[in-house]
Amino acid sequence: MYPPKIGYVIPDNINEAIDFLKTHDDAKVLAGGHSLIPMLKLRIIRPSYLIDITKLKELHYLNKEEKEYKLGATITHYEISKAQIPLLSEVASKIGDPQVRNMGTIGGSISHLDPSADYPAALLVLDAKVKIKGPSGERLEEFSSFDKDMFTPDLSQGEIVTEISIPTVSGYKYSYQKLERKAGDFAIVGVAVLIKTNGDEIEDFRIGVTGVNNKAYRSQIAEDMIKGKKINDEIIDKVAQEVANESNPTSDIRGSAEYKRKATKIMAKRAILDALKR
Amino acid sequence: MKIIEKDEKVKIHLKINGKDYETEVEPRKLLVHVLRDLGFTSVHVGCDTSNCGACTVIINGKSVKSCTVLAVQADGSEILTVEGLSKDGKLHPIQEAFWDKHALQCGYCTPGMIMQSYWLLSENPSPSEDEIREGLAGNLCRCTGYQNIIEAVKEASQKLKGH
Repeated sequence: MYPPKIGYVIPDNINEAIDFLKTHDDAKVLAGGHSLIPMLKLRIIRPSYLIDITKLKELHYLNKEEKEYKLGATITHYEISKAQIPLLSEVASKIGDPQVRNMGTIGGSISHLDPSADYPAALLVLDAKVKIKGPSGERLEEFSSFDKDMFTPDLSQGEIVTEISIPTVSGYKYSYQKLERKAGDFAIVGVAVLIKTNGDEIEDFRIGVTGVNNKAYRSQIAEDMIKGKKINDEIIDKVAQEVANESNPTSDIRGSAEYKRKATKIMAKRAILDALKR
Repeated sequence: MKIIEKDEKVKIHLKINGKDYETEVEPRKLLVHVLRDLGFTSVHVGCDTSNCGACTVIINGKSVKSCTVLAVQADGSEILTVEGLSKDGKLHPIQEAFWDKHALQCGYCTPGMIMQSYWLLSENPSPSEDEIREGLAGNLCRCTGYQNIIEAVKEASQKLKGH
């Protein structure tokens, strides 16, 4: 319940934050605080300083441009849930509970990289990019390579996620299906799909899964299996089975590995069917 | 850039229920404890993992679990707790509805539950039953079984629309 003693830094701009982080390797960036503070309260981490970036207006914006949405790192789940971004807004609305969504940010979620987090499944299928600012300037990475492993983002010392960009997808149907024990919980498994149809033929198909691996994954084999084909129950079943085959869940309080693999197939099917209905 | 060392205390300003407060805190101190220290003991602690919502208050118009905010983070913000809802002794319609519908027993979740209902109804003045249940999913109750809380929020929604 009680955090260990910590210093606190309020930078005036992002460069000050980066400078401080560069020279204090055990300092942590504080955004919404809804992963960091719970960890402090359990004393799982003992950073020297917290660098509060939530006062930086330069990190708080949500712009729709011609080809992409640009989201400042400190945009909250609540704000994303209201922004009508295909797929991503639906995913944001299913994170945690209302109070959590009022504080939690997209930058914080992906810098934390819980393997059961909701965003990664969607960010993968949306081909999201992550802008990172550090002592040697800015770089832009695909989310798929930014997510190196559970709790392991591609961030070097002094680097901070500043922006997430989402290419606009038009004419796509989408769905995010989250299996949870109760409202407010992390996903047992979460499946995000994007589907473009041409008549009854599948023109483009993308499927991302969270919760049942070290990190979220897209199934290339399943995607190739269905692209250009006519949709029917048999192919949906095969695709869902393939997605489940690529899962590698662990047995824990949310269920056995076997159960989670079976659930992955079911949720993949539900996501595809739900998207096609829209 | 402002740097507060771990053994240092920092002066913070909070506007709580319309009144200004100034206090000194260590950076690690949680907002929920500061609110209670300042006398707002309606703000309860029901867990240590951010699940229960008994500490819910409105910060700058948003419902937040005050156990998951550092007091220093909240410096300069406006906070509403359940103590600030009634006006001149007259209950707020949500408080009235909780009374009418028997939506509390031990009363420990009630302040947080009422503040979350307050935010829910400001967001969505006419929620369906499902929307109420989802809207209160961050607030646990051990006594009521939720049913009467749902009824109270429905009644409060009707009353507030009449205002």
